[in-house]
Amino acid sequence: MAASNVPGNLDNIPDAVVDEENKGFPVVWLLPLVALLVGGWLIYKTMSEKGPEVEITFKTAEGIEQGKTSIKYRDVTIGKVDSVQFSDDLSHIVLTATMETGTERHLTENTRFWVVRPRIGAGGITGLGTLVSGAYIEMEPSNEGKRQKRFTGLENPPVVKSDVEGTSYQLRTDKLGSLSVGAPVYFRQFDVGEITDYTLTEDHSHVDVTIFVRAPHDRFIRAGTHFWNVGGVNLTMDASGVSFQMESLVSLMSGGIAFDTIPALAGKPVAEEGTVFTLYENRAQTLELPITEVVTYALRFDGTVRGLSIGAPVEFRGVRIGTVKAIEMGKDPQQPDVLVPVVLVDLEPQRAAGYEDIDRATAGNQGQEEFELDPRKRIESLVKKGLRARLQTGSLVTGQLFVELDMFPDAEPATVTPNGFYQEIPTLPNPLEGILAGVNRIVAKLEKAELGETLTNLNELMVSTNTLVGTLEQNAPGLAKELHATIEEARKTLASLAAVTSTDGEIGNELYNALAEVTAAARSIRVMSEYLERHPDALLRGKGNNP
Amino acid sequence: MRAKALGLAGCHTCGLLLRLPGSGHSHCPRCAAPVHLRKPNSVSTTWALLISAIVMYLPANIFPVMAVTSLGAVQADTIMSGVIYFLKHGDWPLALIIFVASVLVPLLKMLALTYLLISVQRKSVFRKQQRTRLYRLTELVGRWSMVDIFVVALLVSLVQVGSLATIVPGIGAIAFASVVILTMLAAMSYDPRLIWDH
Repeated sequence: MAASNVPGNLDNIPDAVVDEENKGFPVVWLLPLVALLVGGWLIYKTMSEKGPEVEITFKTAEGIEQGKTSIKYRDVTIGKVDSVQFSDDLSHIVLTATMETGTERHLTENTRFWVVRPRIGAGGITGLGTLVSGAYIEMEPSNEGKRQKRFTGLENPPVVKSDVEGTSYQLRTDKLGSLSVGAPVYFRQFDVGEITDYTLTEDHSHVDVTIFVRAPHDRFIRAGTHFWNVGGVNLTMDASGVSFQMESLVSLMSGGIAFDTIPALAGKPVAEEGTVFTLYENRAQTLELPITEVVTYALRFDGTVRGLSIGAPVEFRGVRIGTVKAIEMGKDPQQPDVLVPVVLVDLEPQRAAGYEDIDRATAGNQGQEEFELDPRKRIESLVKKGLRARLQTGSLVTGQLFVELDMFPDAEPATVTPNGFYQEIPTLPNPLEGILAGVNRIVAKLEKAELGETLTNLNELMVSTNTLVGTLEQNAPGLAKELHATIEEARKTLASLAAVTSTDGEIGNELYNALAEVTAAARSIRVMSEYLERHPDALLRGKGNNP
Repeated sequence: MRAKALGLAGCHTCGLLLRLPGSGHSHCPRCAAPVHLRKPNSVSTTWALLISAIVMYLPANIFPVMAVTSLGAVQADTIMSGVIYFLKHGDWPLALIIFVASVLVPLLKMLALTYLLISVQRKSVFRKQQRTRLYRLTELVGRWSMVDIFVVALLVSLVQVGSLATIVPGIGAIAFASVVILTMLAAMSYDPRLIWDH
């Protein structure tokens, strides 16, 4: 077997050329080494780059996908949601997320997370980009506080990001009105802050609104700054007419607050964080003087007080001096079993407090009389001199009334009368009422008057006039003829007269000549008198040779 | 009677029948190509390459092969997640192709080579013809694993539509390509004649 397998001639097979031995290190084993190094390095890199894991709890996982939803801060991704699970009692969703390396120090108890989704809020529509790219979780890191790994996510984005500088204040008001969280705070119509929160006070008597004003505008808020509500529309229809005010479209929808400091109080110190201010209902209220002193009087009116509202002004000759406090019923002094309206007015002497300065500035302190300081005594003396109260129409548009005080020296004398608790100022009827009363009287008189006789007389007059006219009509043609004849005669006479007096006629000629003579005579007399004036001695001596 | 026993071998390049020394390197006198009775250090070289391939196979599957950024949302996919994605969307032929080409074939290649190496080192006489067939199959099919790499390369170069859709390759793609190349090299460096030596 072996022999038949061996080829015959093995001698002609050439020899291979031997290479030099190069027993070096088998280079190929570098490959697994490199592979191990690369693999190991990759794994190490991944493990070391893995940042801290956090758990965030939310009520709903709407828009959140595990493995995809990212956690961002200022639009930079710093984490990713790994898994979305239920809490044990199925009440919450627990997200497990991996953050980037190095973020441990930003994960403290003050760090906040919330989901950014499309939202419509007081400040507008936010988060529209997430309609396209999917919801993401926004993070607001904080370096202060204890580090933690479990967080409760916010259901709504915080109104103020904590990296914005500014100051918070509290405003107290009676009712919330149209204010809402996120509504703007205006200063000179600039948007400088927003409302961050509101609550009822513990005794439920007021609403406390927390606002945040951004730096540097917070330094405009001083101890005497006034805040007022500019939300919605301010429409007032009162005795002074109709007024309509609106701040901006945003505040129309979501409410708003404005503030300003009157120059007199600009020197006060800047308000500290958390200072409580009063929130007024509108700007007008802030400009009103704080009224602390009132003197209340009662006014009893005969007519109707419909159109008078509580809070309507009391004016003296157009200057506001008080406010209507209440409208009650009282007995009519003339008819004890009839009720009449009684209006309580608060007179506010502080409104006239600066009269002396004005006086001095305008009239120069001429009157040396002492002005009675006690308002009650003053009113008493004025009533004796004719001070009365009456109702006037404030605005024809709104039909609202106000109380007018004025001096009526012709009024029936009266004094301030005590009326139980309050003193009374005597009243006069409404001028409109007076007109109506007069008209009523005329109508009554007309009713009473004996018109029957007058009518009969009138009738007879009509009849005789008729007869007269009839007679005239009958005699008219005859009269006309006579008139005609008379006129003819007159014309003839005039014509002959004219002929006589013209210069062509006899009389005329004579007349003309006579007139000429007279004229000549007058002339010579004149000449003579002139001569005599120059030469008075001519009377004695004659004309002589003098001209 | 085997050629090896007689020290005879043909040059791989020009085919000239030569007489070789027992060991060491030599080259063909006609075409100067290196000539060996058996591939030198076949077993150790193949082992080295195989181990490298196995080591690199781990990152190839852990790290994403490509990252698709669409409208701001980034989606990174590993080989397996891509397979699952296509399966979920009902595209099972594609899922099957990717699974076979990128998961099955490399794994089987590595397993086959491991088996072949171990069997040669243990001087086994078990089913030599089958083993040789296995080797030929391995070497033939190996290159088709590059399908996945071609897909990634094509997608990356074509899908660059700004923020609408952008695809970038991941580390996994590079690792996977190295796995395929290394297994190909490993198969190349394995000398199937060793099967028949025992």
